[in-house]
Amino acid sequence: MMAGGKSSAMFRPRTVGEAVEMLAAAHESGTAVALLGGGTDLVPALRSGERSAETVVALRRVLELRVRGAGADSLTIGAGVTYTDLDGWSLSPGLARAARVVGSVQIRNTGTVGGALGSARPGGDLLTFLTAADAEVLTVSPRGPERMPLPRFLADGLAPDALVTAVRLARPGGPQVYLKIGGRQAAYPAVVSCAVLVDRVRHRLTCAIGGVGLLPVRMGEAERYARDEVDWSTGTVSSSAARRFGDLVVEAAARVSPALPAGPRGSAEYRWHAAGVLAGRAFARCLHLTAPPVGEPARGSAAGGQP
Amino acid sequence: MTAVSADGLDAAAGGTDRGDAGVDGTGREKAGTDGTGRGEAETDGAGGGESYRLHVDGFLRTVSGAWIGDSLLTVLRDVLGVTAVKDACEQGRCGACSVLLDGRLAASCTVLAADADGSRVVTVAGLGGSGLTRAVRAMFLAEGAVQCGFCTPGFVVAVTDLLTRHPDADEEEIREALAGNICRCTGYGRIVAAVRAVQAERGILPPGDTPTPGDAPSRPDGG
Repeated sequence: MMAGGKSSAMFRPRTVGEAVEMLAAAHESGTAVALLGGGTDLVPALRSGERSAETVVALRRVLELRVRGAGADSLTIGAGVTYTDLDGWSLSPGLARAARVVGSVQIRNTGTVGGALGSARPGGDLLTFLTAADAEVLTVSPRGPERMPLPRFLADGLAPDALVTAVRLARPGGPQVYLKIGGRQAAYPAVVSCAVLVDRVRHRLTCAIGGVGLLPVRMGEAERYARDEVDWSTGTVSSSAARRFGDLVVEAAARVSPALPAGPRGSAEYRWHAAGVLAGRAFARCLHLTAPPVGEPARGSAAGGQP
Repeated sequence: MTAVSADGLDAAAGGTDRGDAGVDGTGREKAGTDGTGRGEAETDGAGGGESYRLHVDGFLRTVSGAWIGDSLLTVLRDVLGVTAVKDACEQGRCGACSVLLDGRLAASCTVLAADADGSRVVTVAGLGGSGLTRAVRAMFLAEGAVQCGFCTPGFVVAVTDLLTRHPDADEEEIREALAGNICRCTGYGRIVAAVRAVQAERGILPPGDTPTPGDAPSRPDGG
């Protein structure tokens, strides 16, 4: 199937089955294969030489991957779904919001969910949200389909002969907020991002921070604090709890290892602080804050800036 | 053949969003029923490069022997001589290379040309000289939205796309929708004024509603 030497080939499968066959054949022939979703990461990287590929398997024509659907408890989003497709999706307002603030119209029209997972950029908006959402990644390879938790997928990476078919997350059980901070959104990834998801049914709050570690990290201690502190019958919490929540996130962010190397935008200390600010703000937006006790300042250290 | 479980997607409940995009029935991708051989690598015998066809501004163009990693931008400019798209950042950040790809605004530097096989590509030159596009061009000139002009082709495509989808966009929505296009001359005030002028001409804004460009937009990222 493959020509030898430097020649290159483009595969345009129509079904997931064809894609797996082509990927496996290309992989066996020993050529460098790249999976192409929207291309917003891959194409500039090919141009700059950051990545190379002798064979490209382009997934745009695989209509199975462009479906999103809802089960009784879960939402499944095909790997080929674009950010624009998710914008305004009423079944997951939080995911819709995270997709809405990715890049520019041009990028949102082109970039896909599968590409966000495959590229796994530290500043990826969707990764932070999906980490907080306890998402599962569905992949398929010649060995058949597989499901795995997002952290395992990100830690192990995608097998060279596998492709992501979809991501699955629970239907929302309460407010979900995604916030980020950084340079011009349309041109640069977030420096720090934060997702807070509240599940009023299961009495749970989850929080993930992107931009402090190589991958988004969950804020376990802050989550446990919130679980104990929130009045789950009303969804209210004291305003001092929002400050404490932000402080716990700052502490946890500073402990993340391995830390993301400091870039031109933002020292480590700045990013920890920003994580606390965003977390406190997202926390306050998800829950009803009760008035602070008399004599206590209204603004918290890290949770300043109310919605 | 690999077994692909239906577990992959809850397809029945969700339906297909825009399932037809990218498959326009023309070009080589035949909608035949035989599954055999479809999607085989289509290498061109001579150079080992790709051969594919693009509908560029209404004309069917054949590309042969291009490098597989070439972006749509590179192929448009360097292979097909379509200079209506401008080449600046090549990272999907500046919007100078904006085109409509099967009707959707895209940065052509982030699209793999070989993957656009069979697609309709519309540059500023293919938008036509009447209707909305005429109004956008006229108001860019009338409002001084063009200085060095390098970003203008991308802006005109992006503005036409915006006003097609969202004719009554308010200023904040205009600024957000055009965030993917960078202009280093105007500071954007004149460009927003041009968009407002198009809306006014088309009766979407009340004539007395004087646009006030330059107001700080609220941050869509909540930051």
